Amino acid sequence: MNFYLTYILVATCLFAFTALFALMAVYAERKLSAFMQDRLGPMEVGSYGTLQAFADILKLLQKEFIIPAAADRVLFFTAPVLIYIAVYLGFAALPWAPGLIPSSLNLGVFYIFAIISVETVGILMAGWGSNNKYALLGSMRSVAQIISYEIPAGIAVISAVMISQSLNLQEVTLSQGILSTGAVNFLGLIDVKNIGGFLAWNIFQAPHLIIAYIIYFIASLAECNRAPFDIPEAESELVAGFHVEYSGMRFAFIFLAEYSMMFLVGMLGVILFLGGWNSPLPNVGSLELATWTTSSAWGVFWVMVKTMLVVATQIWIRWTLPRFRVDQLMSFCWKVLTPLAFLCMLISGVWRLTMM
Amino acid sequence: MRVEQIIFYALAAMVLGSALLVVTIRNLVRSIFLFFVALISLSGLYIFASADFIAIAQIVIYVGGVLVLMLFAFLLSNKELLNNLSRPVNRLINISSLPGFLLASAFLFVLISAILNTEISWLGYVQQNHFQPGDNTVHNIGISIMTRYLLPFEAVSMFLMMALIGAAHLARKGQKI
Repeated sequence: MNFYLTYILVATCLFAFTALFALMAVYAERKLSAFMQDRLGPMEVGSYGTLQAFADILKLLQKEFIIPAAADRVLFFTAPVLIYIAVYLGFAALPWAPGLIPSSLNLGVFYIFAIISVETVGILMAGWGSNNKYALLGSMRSVAQIISYEIPAGIAVISAVMISQSLNLQEVTLSQGILSTGAVNFLGLIDVKNIGGFLAWNIFQAPHLIIAYIIYFIASLAECNRAPFDIPEAESELVAGFHVEYSGMRFAFIFLAEYSMMFLVGMLGVILFLGGWNSPLPNVGSLELATWTTSSAWGVFWVMVKTMLVVATQIWIRWTLPRFRVDQLMSFCWKVLTPLAFLCMLISGVWRLTMM
Repeated sequence: MRVEQIIFYALAAMVLGSALLVVTIRNLVRSIFLFFVALISLSGLYIFASADFIAIAQIVIYVGGVLVLMLFAFLLSNKELLNNLSRPVNRLINISSLPGFLLASAFLFVLISAILNTEISWLGYVQQNHFQPGDNTVHNIGISIMTRYLLPFEAVSMFLMMALIGAAHLARKGQKI
């Protein structure tokens, strides 16, 4: 029985984590955007507006669910939950520290990609269920964008997996630090198995993965429907896209899904390219920084710090760049990112055969 | 009853129930979304058969690809056309359902004969060779594809290439006169 209780506990912790993270990210997003636009941002609730996110969620909790008269009620109700669950299930295969992973799947990377694609069904469900022209257009744009950008993202991920030789995310992380069982070579030449640190990360083991990571990062922005890829919710043309009819708790679920998705894709990128829970500090002579900073608690700390930095970059880009047009979006995906990703995959194959 | 059995029967009931609803329900969009439920529960059943790769491939291909394509085709089509499609058929037996009836009965015959011809003694043989839950099935699949099934694999890849070229050709803008 304890066996099952552990599973339920882990799942509850992950749910609580996504909810807390979404609250913090909303606050961070407001403050960062305010900083970039030379404003103050939320200042009223709590000191420096720290309780603003809690006030927001309290407001959303007591709001009325408004159901459009012509909506398909069943689809309208299930869609936000489905969108959130699709993202939440992805967290099951992500490693947090040495030996600390909810489910050590042999197919971790493939599983996450599969489960993220379920989100598109939820978005279409929301768009159709709302029975609203803008919602339908927004959901179709969103799905077209997500499906197109899954291709460069997937191929960039494959080029990293070819270097790590495993689909298990825990093994991928292990191969990028001092706990590795195989050879770890900085730039394919210098043995850094005992030095570790940032020198052992995938992007420094094989430098073409830097390009692969940039491709993955751009594509992950598109998969989260965030600016500069926010044409699905384009406020000026489509009001708010597929979630225009949602209010109250159901809107909160869609919001939660968006921020959890940001964390999920950020963390997947960190694990595959930036060393996951491995410490960025190398061992220098008798100063064994990497050995001292590799443990369960440090693992959680490093993976959180790295992912938070990636999420901060996502927010930074959102408030810096203007929105793409639809045709620019598609030609950028198919004519720039996809060929580059294929090139990275090819280099990975050659690298694997010659350098490792 | 063990937990595994309860989950198995719940999944099986979901597959059968949603598959029945897909064909009987009047609302076409809801039937597509019920098809989604059937596909997801079916991938759960694949996991019970230790075919984890197939289970995930099922979600990638059917949910991420085929189902979304069906929904797109549906959402982009004309509403009048769909009203004609969803017009209820009055009689249970009519000439338009004859091909479907023949196909279904042929399939039922295959299934029943398979069940009747199964030797129970084979089950022991199956049990000795099954995978452990933690086994890495991807390695076996990769090795099999690259050795024993190389020719079919290459044929499939050629076929996909042809489909891609055809799609790119169709999607091209027409020549300006």
